[in-house]
Amino acid sequence: MANLAVSDSEKTFIIHGVEDNLRCDGRGCLDYRHIELELGAAPNCSGSSHVRIANTDVLVGIKAEIAAPDHAAPDRGRIEFFVDLTANADPEFEGTGGDELGQQIAGALAEAYVSKRFLDLSSLCIVKNQQVWVLFVDILILELGGSLYDAVSIAVKAALYDLRIPKLTVSIGEDGKPEIEVSDDPHTQEPLAIANVPCFVTLSKIGSQFVVDVSQEEAECSTVNMCCAIAPNGRMATTMKTGVGSLHPDSLIEALQLAQEIGVALHKALHKQFVKAQELSGRTNGFLL
Amino acid sequence: MSGHQYLSEEGFRVDGRRAQEMRKLDCSLGVFAQADGSAYVKEGNTVVLAAVYGPHEVRGGRVKALHDRAVVNCQFSAATFSTAERKRRPRGDTKSVEMTLHLQQTFETAILTKLYPRCQIDIFVEVLQADGSILSVAINAATMALVDAGIGLRDYVCACSAGVFNDAALLDLNNLEESQKGTGLTVAILPKTERIVLVDMSSKIHSDHVSKTIEAAIEGCKDIHATFDAKIKERVGRLAALINTEN
Amino acid sequence: MLTQKVFLRKTKRGNILKIVREHYLREDIGCGSVACGRCDSESTRPLQKDFESASKVVEHAHYIVPDTNIVLHQIDVLKDEAFRNVIVPQTVIQELRHRHAPAYNSIREMLAIEERHFYCFVNEHHKDTYVERLPGESANDRNDRAIRRVVGYLQSHLAEQGLSIEVVLLTNDRECLNSAKKEGLTAFSLKEYVGGMGKPELLDKISIDADGSSEGDPVTNKKKFMYPEHLTPIALQAGIKSGRLRSGKFMASRDNYLEGFVCLGDNEDESDRVLIQGLMNLNRAVQDDTVVVEILPESEWVCPSSVVLEDEPEEDDKVDEEDDDGDEVEREKKVEKALKESKTEKGVEKMPTGKIVGILKRKWRPYCGILAPSAIKEATKHLFVAAERKIPKIRIETRQAAALTGKRIVVAIDSWPRHSRYPLGHYVRTLGDIGDRKVENQVLLLEHDIPHQPFSQAVLNCLPKMPWLITPLDESKRQDFRSVPTCSVDPPGCTDIDDALHARSLPNGNFEIGVHIADVSHFIRPHTALDREAATRGTTVYLVDQRIDMIPDLLSSNLCSLISDVDRFAFSAVFEMTEDAKVVGAKYCKSIIRSKNSFTYAEAQARIDDKARKDEVTEGLRVLNSLAKKMKLKRMENGALNLASSEVRFQVDSETHDPIDVKTKELLEVNSMVEEFMLLANKSVAEFIYNELSHCALLRRHPVPPVGNFDPLVRAAATRGFDIQVDCGKHLADSLDRASIDTDPFFNTMLRMVATRCMSQAIYFCSGTIAKEDFLHYGLALPFYTHFTSPIRRYSDLIVHRLLAVAIGADATYPELLDKVRVQNLCNNLNYRHKMAQYAGRASVTLYTQIYFRDKNVLEDGYILFVRENALQVLLPKYGMECTLYVKDKPGGQQRIKVPFTYDAEKCTQTAGDVTLRQFERITVRVSLDRTNIQHQKLVVELVRPHIPGFSVDIEKPMEVDEPRNDGEPEKKKTRAV
Repeated sequence: MANLAVSDSEKTFIIHGVEDNLRCDGRGCLDYRHIELELGAAPNCSGSSHVRIANTDVLVGIKAEIAAPDHAAPDRGRIEFFVDLTANADPEFEGTGGDELGQQIAGALAEAYVSKRFLDLSSLCIVKNQQVWVLFVDILILELGGSLYDAVSIAVKAALYDLRIPKLTVSIGEDGKPEIEVSDDPHTQEPLAIANVPCFVTLSKIGSQFVVDVSQEEAECSTVNMCCAIAPNGRMATTMKTGVGSLHPDSLIEALQLAQEIGVALHKALHKQFVKAQELSGRTNGFLL
Repeated sequence: MSGHQYLSEEGFRVDGRRAQEMRKLDCSLGVFAQADGSAYVKEGNTVVLAAVYGPHEVRGGRVKALHDRAVVNCQFSAATFSTAERKRRPRGDTKSVEMTLHLQQTFETAILTKLYPRCQIDIFVEVLQADGSILSVAINAATMALVDAGIGLRDYVCACSAGVFNDAALLDLNNLEESQKGTGLTVAILPKTERIVLVDMSSKIHSDHVSKTIEAAIEGCKDIHATFDAKIKERVGRLAALINTEN
Repeated sequence: MLTQKVFLRKTKRGNILKIVREHYLREDIGCGSVACGRCDSESTRPLQKDFESASKVVEHAHYIVPDTNIVLHQIDVLKDEAFRNVIVPQTVIQELRHRHAPAYNSIREMLAIEERHFYCFVNEHHKDTYVERLPGESANDRNDRAIRRVVGYLQSHLAEQGLSIEVVLLTNDRECLNSAKKEGLTAFSLKEYVGGMGKPELLDKISIDADGSSEGDPVTNKKKFMYPEHLTPIALQAGIKSGRLRSGKFMASRDNYLEGFVCLGDNEDESDRVLIQGLMNLNRAVQDDTVVVEILPESEWVCPSSVVLEDEPEEDDKVDEEDDDGDEVEREKKVEKALKESKTEKGVEKMPTGKIVGILKRKWRPYCGILAPSAIKEATKHLFVAAERKIPKIRIETRQAAALTGKRIVVAIDSWPRHSRYPLGHYVRTLGDIGDRKVENQVLLLEHDIPHQPFSQAVLNCLPKMPWLITPLDESKRQDFRSVPTCSVDPPGCTDIDDALHARSLPNGNFEIGVHIADVSHFIRPHTALDREAATRGTTVYLVDQRIDMIPDLLSSNLCSLISDVDRFAFSAVFEMTEDAKVVGAKYCKSIIRSKNSFTYAEAQARIDDKARKDEVTEGLRVLNSLAKKMKLKRMENGALNLASSEVRFQVDSETHDPIDVKTKELLEVNSMVEEFMLLANKSVAEFIYNELSHCALLRRHPVPPVGNFDPLVRAAATRGFDIQVDCGKHLADSLDRASIDTDPFFNTMLRMVATRCMSQAIYFCSGTIAKEDFLHYGLALPFYTHFTSPIRRYSDLIVHRLLAVAIGADATYPELLDKVRVQNLCNNLNYRHKMAQYAGRASVTLYTQIYFRDKNVLEDGYILFVRENALQVLLPKYGMECTLYVKDKPGGQQRIKVPFTYDAEKCTQTAGDVTLRQFERITVRVSLDRTNIQHQKLVVELVRPHIPGFSVDIEKPMEVDEPRNDGEPEKKKTRAV
């Protein structure tokens, strides 16, 4: 919750702990909290996931729809992000209260996914200049417990992993208009190549140390946050400084290098989780029950 | 012949239920730590999450506060991916506003608001998957969240939808059945007294069928009450056992 | 247990949605057998315990499980009584429901008959028989597997209980058969199974699959006869979308088997037609199919031929040898070439010509007809000739050819593969001897698509239990008119009395007029089998000696019928009228009445005329009669048309049912009295329901005919110096009234008959579907009209009753009643049924006329109703019938007429020598029956007077047939009116 009150002595305690690479919940500076992950959480979506990192709870549903492509990229599909911060997460978000933060996160995601190095959308083209798949990635924040960007990006990647695009047969009619037929066999749907999709790694500076996956209490102590989108091969898709505060150029370089290392390791771990979650997909009631 | 046969000659609905059969009902309480109370209710493929905050100080200035009772603040919202065709926005549309109003009126009746003067109680309902009977599932989820939050209630509020097809009353309609024109209503009752706290008819229904349909819906509400009551008792029993062992 | 069904659906906007639906799997679905001790005891169990094996191929008693294609294509076989204890998997029912409504209805019907022991096993929701579609498996394969799973499950379910009842799968699909055997199931093809039943006629009913899988004879490649391939559905749709191809309804030519038209528009408009000529271009299209046509370049356009060509197979007809098809190609080509040449000479206007490239929807139905005579009696392959000349010959296989000669039989088309000259079909059933009155009557019903089966058990179950009593509750809800002097007036012999009337004076000097209509909607409730059946039938069909009821007899002739001296429910329209027949008030209510008398028209007329009678009922009739006259006068002043048509009644021999005399119907004053009040009630109700339920009222309209339609009328009247104004109904009515000749009273009647032909058909419609200006009823000159007064015999009236009941709050509504699309669909069916009923009625009169003339050869007075280019249309007023008197030979036919006639289109005359035949002229003709074509007998008229040498028949010469009776006086036999 946003209006969390942390006293000075608590802050000092946290900062000192971080200096000794020991955080209140027992983690080291560069350790993530336990990530719970579920695929196919919303069965009526083309791809969906549910990710929970401690108290941060994110539900992602992707719907693939057919629409016209962008003029700038007539042979590529589109991907659109929408982040809904629910009042469940914080009463402050009631009504339109969460829109600003939501747009911020959606913008960051769009920026990270913009290059085709990371996500090649050309496979989503149905008929050049006329019809492409548009992926509507809808992100629902059910609870807020810090590390929002990281959790969201993991959930999005998981949902993309779960995504299955219906197989179409396209015939061009005599009037030149494409006729689209969808196969009636539900097993013929195809996954999307997501090997290079980046995830956000947010580094928060507490004292002189960079820390990942901060809890809300720790967030109160951090002086600056660096948020980097890292692809599995270590490439950096985007980076930004979020929140207030400033940092030294040397720290920046350090942060970026750190993020890269963490990112690569994170992707490896995630992939294993994905495979495991895939097997369980649809067979469990989900961890909310 | 096309279209669906909502009740076959053999007496089965499209999904294999009989006319007066409810869908599979699952629920779990206290799914979120932050909220004062929360519940997750899954009725068939309709999934609703409800969170309750409060009673707490009235937000947005004291002016809204009531000196003799609590302000009940509701919000109905549905995930953009909850429906088969993507919704443009999660809330603020007419349908959501109407749902919000229904929730507000229902729970202002059900909550013992006099116990919480100058307070506010927030009920936030989030539909994660929509497959018919959204209003009734939303009410059921909100009730469970209120129970989880420990807010004083007159009784459970149990809701169920029903419709008429070829003179037979069908209970707990799914999306397919709801899309059939002209025959659905939602009823919410306080099961102990069997008083009706909400009747919503979203479409025309002939007056001859109304009482029959409402009666069927009330039976459905009672079913739901039995399930919920068992669930709560089991949960309370478990929590009590935990307290005992801690002591 | 629960599983999810996931599938993709394309929306109208072109999007693709993922739909997830719950699918519950249950444990409480019984196997349906009486023998079973395991399944839920409360479940229905139609399957028997002790019974014999129906086929020798299976030793033990067994239940039969047919697959979808068996039910779909072989329903004629399954309908046989020998098939009992059949388990129909839900998978099959669902597939049928989506693919073929008639087969679905048939199987539903059989499931409803108790003695047949059919059972629907809900396998899709049974936890042990539900199967999930596998990756790469087609929907069909999955369904086949589901059906096999049913057989497997039930087999072991029964075996585990030590029961010796087997479960047998019937499938004609070879793969499915193999899979079933591999899975250890007992499975047979239908042919194998039926072969063991010892009923050879059943074998005939087996439908031939196009791919020959039931036949087992592989397609040999030596076949030379090949139709062009039909395009794929996708290619057809694409072509239609681009406008290169057009779709429409195929109408075969009645006279020329090598010719047909495709009507492109929805309405069968003459102007928008494409000519199709030649077998290859016709490309296997059959009458009424929805086809796709490619229009040929203008250089290849031709004109329709006027040649009569019958498809006569070669003399030494060897239809059972596939080879001869090849020779036929050659012959066909020659005929076609001759056809083309014959046309180029004439230089008639060419019209758009095309070729058929695909068929969107077949409109095949069972056809009545006869077996073509075959040289080889032992042969099993035969040609079938349909009674409808527009239907091609059909090749069928039968082992009972000898027994079928001289019989009317029914045959269904199964397929029309490319290599087959004729469509392939199978024998369905025998109707009886050709020429037999009953049999021909049945042919008539079948050919007009009139549902005439006895009402099914499901329908009869909807009837009220007898004795039927009026309860105090009924009395409290209805107005009581039992003490009011009410009576009905109908034709003699009428048992379905729809309406009754009353009239009484009110204290203020006005009259209260009650129009009481049978309250059928009280008995026929929506959503019942009875209601569905009545909606399908649409109308009661009246044939000369038979009535095919829309609703069961108990209702039509008893509970609904407003019989005298019993209490009956009615829906009453009560009007208050002034002495000069002005309506000052109307109200509608459900009521109870007790008719005092059921009069015939003649009886009622006699009562009115009998000055001595002063009782209530008679006085009421007099009031009604005098008001009706005033009403009629007003109506005529408003421009209602008074048109004429001739109706006849046959007098039928009480024993043989053969007609022995005909009489035209006599019209009395009371006829028009009843009519006036019916019109009043219909008109008032139409206005009322339109005002109350403006979007879904069922009304009846009569469109204004296009001015061009009246040309024949104007020209005909002009020949006698009359000017007919057709610019509006009022002027038409007035000018028709003026056009009468004192010396020839029949002239005006004939003119009105001609006017009738110029009219368009009145139709039912739903008020929400067209603009209010088009509601007009032209003939009656009313802005609103509907049918309210005959609910026993018309479904439209029943719907109007329901609407009116809703409008006055007397009854509940249901969604379909208020849905304008559904109401319009209903109207479409009703319009179709009414048209067919009318045609059937006329065909029935024709049939009786033919029987009447069978052994006669009589001279009759006739009138020339129309003068055509090659013939005269002769009206025989005595029989109310028209015949064609050819004055020129049909081109291409035999040359028989040696006298040249000259046709004058302006004056409507035909002249031969010094004799000129003019329209409306009275002539004398000789009438006889031409029986040369056993399927199509026809009446022949020959001119006697005026005498044209070489053309008119010489009556002095002895006749070939019996001596003609001088004027056709009826024999003095016991007669019975029908």
